[in-house]
Amino acid sequence: MIPAPVLELRAVLPLGVLALGAIAVLVLDLVMLDRSRLFGRSVTRAFVGTLLSLTSAVFLIVVLVLGVQNLVHGSTAVFNVANPLVQLDPLANFGVLLVAGGTLLVCLMSVAYLAELDINHGEYYALLLLSASGMVLLVSATDLLSLFLGLEVTAIPAYVLAGFDRGRRRGNEAALKYFLLGSFASAILLYGMALLYGATGATTLEAIRQAEVASSPLALAGMGLVLVGFAFKVSSVPFHQWVPDVYEGAPASVGGFFATTVKAAAFVALLRLLAVALGEGASWVAPMLAVLAALSMIVGNTMALIQQNPKRLLGYAAIGHAGYLLLGFVAATPEAYAAVLFYLTAYLFMTLGAFAVLVALANRGHDLERIGDLAGLAKKRPALAGALTLFAISLAGIPPTAGFLAKFQLFAAVVGAGHVGLVILAVGTSVLSAFYYLRLPVLMVMREPEGPPPRLHLASGEWLVVGVCALAVVTLGLLPNGLGVDSPSLLPPALDWSRDAITALLASR
Amino acid sequence: MSEALLTWVVFLPLASVVGLALLHGSLVAFGLSRGLPDVLWRWLALAATVVTFGMSVALAAGYDATDTAFQFVAHRPWLPRWGIHYFVGLDGVGLAMLLLTTFLVPLVLIGSWTGYSRRKGYLMHVLVLETGALGAFASLNLFQFYVFFEALLVPMVFLIGVFGGPLRVRAAIKFFLFTLAGSVLFLVALLVLAVLQQQQFGGVNFDLVAVSGIPLPPILETRVPTVQAPWWQQQTWLFAACALAFAVKIPLVPLHTWLPDAHVEAPTGGSVLLAGVLLKLGAFGFVRVALPLFPVAAQQFAPVLAVVALVGILYGALLAMVQSDLKKLVAYTSISHLGFVVLGLFALNVEGLQGGILQMVNHGLSTGALFLLVGMIAERRDTREIAAFGGVAKPMPVFALFLVLITMSSIGVPMLNGFVGEFLVLLGAFERSAAVGAAATVGVVLAAIVMLSMLRRVLFGPVENPENRGLIDLDRRERAVLVAFVIPIVWIGVHPATLLRRVEPSILELLRVMDVRARASAAESEASASESSGSEAPEADGSSATVPGAAGQRARWLAAATAPAGRPEPAR
Repeated sequence: MIPAPVLELRAVLPLGVLALGAIAVLVLDLVMLDRSRLFGRSVTRAFVGTLLSLTSAVFLIVVLVLGVQNLVHGSTAVFNVANPLVQLDPLANFGVLLVAGGTLLVCLMSVAYLAELDINHGEYYALLLLSASGMVLLVSATDLLSLFLGLEVTAIPAYVLAGFDRGRRRGNEAALKYFLLGSFASAILLYGMALLYGATGATTLEAIRQAEVASSPLALAGMGLVLVGFAFKVSSVPFHQWVPDVYEGAPASVGGFFATTVKAAAFVALLRLLAVALGEGASWVAPMLAVLAALSMIVGNTMALIQQNPKRLLGYAAIGHAGYLLLGFVAATPEAYAAVLFYLTAYLFMTLGAFAVLVALANRGHDLERIGDLAGLAKKRPALAGALTLFAISLAGIPPTAGFLAKFQLFAAVVGAGHVGLVILAVGTSVLSAFYYLRLPVLMVMREPEGPPPRLHLASGEWLVVGVCALAVVTLGLLPNGLGVDSPSLLPPALDWSRDAITALLASR
Repeated sequence: MSEALLTWVVFLPLASVVGLALLHGSLVAFGLSRGLPDVLWRWLALAATVVTFGMSVALAAGYDATDTAFQFVAHRPWLPRWGIHYFVGLDGVGLAMLLLTTFLVPLVLIGSWTGYSRRKGYLMHVLVLETGALGAFASLNLFQFYVFFEALLVPMVFLIGVFGGPLRVRAAIKFFLFTLAGSVLFLVALLVLAVLQQQQFGGVNFDLVAVSGIPLPPILETRVPTVQAPWWQQQTWLFAACALAFAVKIPLVPLHTWLPDAHVEAPTGGSVLLAGVLLKLGAFGFVRVALPLFPVAAQQFAPVLAVVALVGILYGALLAMVQSDLKKLVAYTSISHLGFVVLGLFALNVEGLQGGILQMVNHGLSTGALFLLVGMIAERRDTREIAAFGGVAKPMPVFALFLVLITMSSIGVPMLNGFVGEFLVLLGAFERSAAVGAAATVGVVLAAIVMLSMLRRVLFGPVENPENRGLIDLDRRERAVLVAFVIPIVWIGVHPATLLRRVEPSILELLRVMDVRARASAAESEASASESSGSEAPEADGSSATVPGAAGQRARWLAAATAPAGRPEPAR
């Protein structure tokens, strides 16, 4: 007789809440649209969209609160001690905050945008929540099986979201490309996992480290393939081909979702994989990651120079940022890992902010397709232009913004690990990136307006998201650890949390 | 009180911008009016800068010239785990730069009172720029210095790019990319310093001077190896990285190509701030950061930089000679003047350093005033071509008077400020090398030729162009601004001790620190050379770079840290 396993449901609570949220949104959508009535009153489609967005927001806020509570207490919950598939430790909680926070912002900024593009369907929010639940699984997975499950649950709704604007050929192309290349990468990843299992006889990350990957060529090959799969997910060169096409073809809000939330979750999972499954004896992986990082920085930032489509530009910029983030994995010190987490936080706000501005600029059913259309925006919409300038400055890494502090911390850790050459390359490509980021404010402020005027009225959700992101970019740049040094802090101490997450992760293995 | 005063001076301009913007925004939001009227913006912004200047005069009055320590010090934790503190304080050099900046900004606003000062964006960028510059001049924490040093790029780019001439966008981008490319290597040097400090003391403290209660020594105490370390940890490379950042800002030939473009395209006020404040940051960076941190490399590089400065002096003057655009001419003489500044600094003796710093102030005053004068006449004629003028002295005698006076100050006529500065620089240069000094003297002569022939072509001779006949002379506002410039110009020329008395102790202290640290490096490299004479070359591993003697130093600092903490007492 098999004894019933002791399950700790706390470990899967965020996951459950999000999955439940997805179902609730679907049902609500079905009920309301079917009858077009709510409590005896007829409802419009716009009202339904708002209601669904707010419903999703409630579920996401619950998850956020759970994550903050867990982080404050520093607690760790393992779903099943006998067979630890899922573990909600501080690192996972940090990931949950990024995922839920990013998804929340995407939900809020989508309401008016979807209506503008005439794709105001309720599935949108359900797919976002479903993908987010996959990401929560991804960041808390301690086993190859749950890792793969998390990746797929994240990716499949994402494929659908990429082509959410069904009427547009670009969107269909993006979805198909994302799906084909994504499945291909998943297959490679799965093959690598199979090889790892064959060589080590284990699927948990902990057991794989104890089996010493480097000792067996089979396991080495397996790990290499897994890394290739992840390189695709985090959009690193040379596995980046899909990024610009998908970002360009997908609606702007979905592009922001891919660039920030999905990427953050993949990076957190990669962090756990490298730190736990490889441990210290992984000197062989550093040169490989260094090549990926260098290529991503060079190719991403160079290609971004010549882009004319703002979403495509942000896509190539995202590749460049993936290169910077990979630097942290090359250094592989606790400081570097903590810096990666902080960078992800800063990156989430500044990139999502930039996408939110694009969302707010969507006009007459179309996204902003040419960078030149930004010309003279400062005259017509000074606040929006100011916000985009702030995000561009932060993305370029100029103080006193979050982007600068994140780069500073990351580069300091990488120099500390002795990789000065890479850091010199990184600051060189940063200067290159400043060139294309600067184009945005230059166009908005220094050129005369041309073309059709932008939308006159901004939805409150869009204002809210742009404002929150701008505030976060400034606050994380000046007070990354909240207010007060020892006293209880008013703002979330992002720096302390990122450090604690890494400390707990490394101590537990 | 004195602790908060410096912070007030630094942040008052920024605070007033934020306050005005909030007031404006809330007026619009509540629909009370269409926002704060432009007149009120202008007057309130001016009031803020005048108050800032008043407070910095109060600082100067309270400055104790006999004390070599930093004064008006304020020290607060910011990101203490990385050794980043909010740390401001002034020595003689910082005080001089602070006064220059707070003096120039109100004059810039009055100078464009009927022009760009009417526009909110202009006022905002000028005031944000002022806070950035003041913050950099007052910073005693290296990280904080870098933040201010970089952050003030942004308002300057907008000043050029939004309010400038026809090619303003190109000039703004060029300016931005040049300075950014220079300063990112400075950032790498900063990170390497932090790594070295981590190795030697087990922690990082970016403070430049010691403060009681902080368990770690300031970053200035970090031993930067001269030999026996991976290349990227050696003084030579770190100094080169910093020097590149500062050389772009100054700018030294051949990194100067952004300057003429930026000056020509910038609005008058932007040009004054660029010349008077921004260019000073490069030279100030040498004094505050590069010299004390890397004294050995500074000595090694001194001949190179002296020659580069010399080339700049001559090249700038020669190029100025052939310019047909008045503003471009002033821009190129600016390169020549800043060559003098660097020549003085890298004479690395008291006279040279004093002269260099005095020349920084002088250049801010005389070139700033020249740009204003050029702006005034260009406004009246809509052209800056020298050939379009001639005989302007007849319709505009007051303008001519001021132009002659400022030109005399710029070329170093005795009894005016330029003379004292150039004299001290040349004295310092001759002490190092007679050949360099002699060559620099040629530069003085060239500058005189350039400026005097400019005077002749613009002011004197017959009025050939009929448009020049109807020129209206300077009005009361313009005269007032120029009189304000002339007062310090004459004062420094007649009684330079007012400034030099306060600067000299700080320079002696700087030279002493450099000497002590250079000796320590020399002793160390000798010891390690004899130690490892039989062994292999240094390992590539960074951890082996811990210098001998660091353990003792660390123990000393730990002992100091356990001493009772009191008011932060800086001591270099």
